[in-house]
Amino acid sequence: MTWSVAAPAVMAAFLASLVEVVEAFTIVLAVATLRGWRSAALGTIAGLAVLAGIVLLLGPLLNRIPLHSLQLAIGILLLLFGMGWLRKASLRAAGIIPLHDEDAIFAAEAAQLGQHQRRQQTNLDWVAGITALKAVLLEGLEVVFIVIAVGAGRGLLMPASFGALAACALVLAAGAIIHRPLSRVPENTLKFGVGVMLSAFGVFWTGEGLGVAWPGQDLALLLFAALFLAAGLTGSALARRISVEIAR
Amino acid sequence: MTVLKEIAAELTGMFVAEKRLTIAVLTVVTMAGCLVDFTELDPLVGGSIVLFGCLTLLIESVCRSARAGTS
Repeated sequence: MTWSVAAPAVMAAFLASLVEVVEAFTIVLAVATLRGWRSAALGTIAGLAVLAGIVLLLGPLLNRIPLHSLQLAIGILLLLFGMGWLRKASLRAAGIIPLHDEDAIFAAEAAQLGQHQRRQQTNLDWVAGITALKAVLLEGLEVVFIVIAVGAGRGLLMPASFGALAACALVLAAGAIIHRPLSRVPENTLKFGVGVMLSAFGVFWTGEGLGVAWPGQDLALLLFAALFLAAGLTGSALARRISVEIAR
Repeated sequence: MTVLKEIAAELTGMFVAEKRLTIAVLTVVTMAGCLVDFTELDPLVGGSIVLFGCLTLLIESVCRSARAGTS
């Protein structure tokens, strides 16, 4: 394991997990605020259990796939996933689509649960638990994919998992202290950075899957990241200019 | 059932942020793979096609969405 590839993998897993865990935390907090920690904790534990089941079920299958095929498949998925994040972050940075607002999401979730409470149509603890479960499961799926994607190609699953766990611990610690949605996390900047890293990994693994011996080996990742960063910033600047021209 | 539907939608959404971008990226990768496999093109050239193809597609997708004013 070389640090030139391990460090970006751990960093990408940490930052991407930070974004996802903050989003899940906002919803779990909304559930806990309205219905108490019991429903929120049960939903969270159930979500984590389903995620663990998915990892235990799919994890061993990865060892059966030939390395080049695995790199190619993961590379393509990373390209699609990373470029999707980068595209959205560029549009948000340009003001074309609104920034992700944790306070607004918290208010919306709380309002939705409040509506259920007023209607009394269903068992509210059940609804609250399912809401927490869905948040943990849906955001957790992305974390699991990112950890596998940046870690599986070079046997970096453990370091990438530690990166993700560190992000979970950080969010939980911050959440436990301030007891509010973590709305001051610069989410779009993080998403921009993660999109850059995942896209760079995507090109790297796709190339290796095609049989490319990249010049400079792992260091090529840094060049790819710089190019995707430049492309994201260029796209954002052009998008801003286009929206100004349309507004006139 | 609703939860399963939402999980399926989430999984699809993870990789299909925008249909045209997804199709274009898959086309570039397939084209590069075919060129490397069937025309004995240097794999490094194939990798460069993927790299610069994706960079171009990203900028084009962002600009197109800005023109349309949607995500």
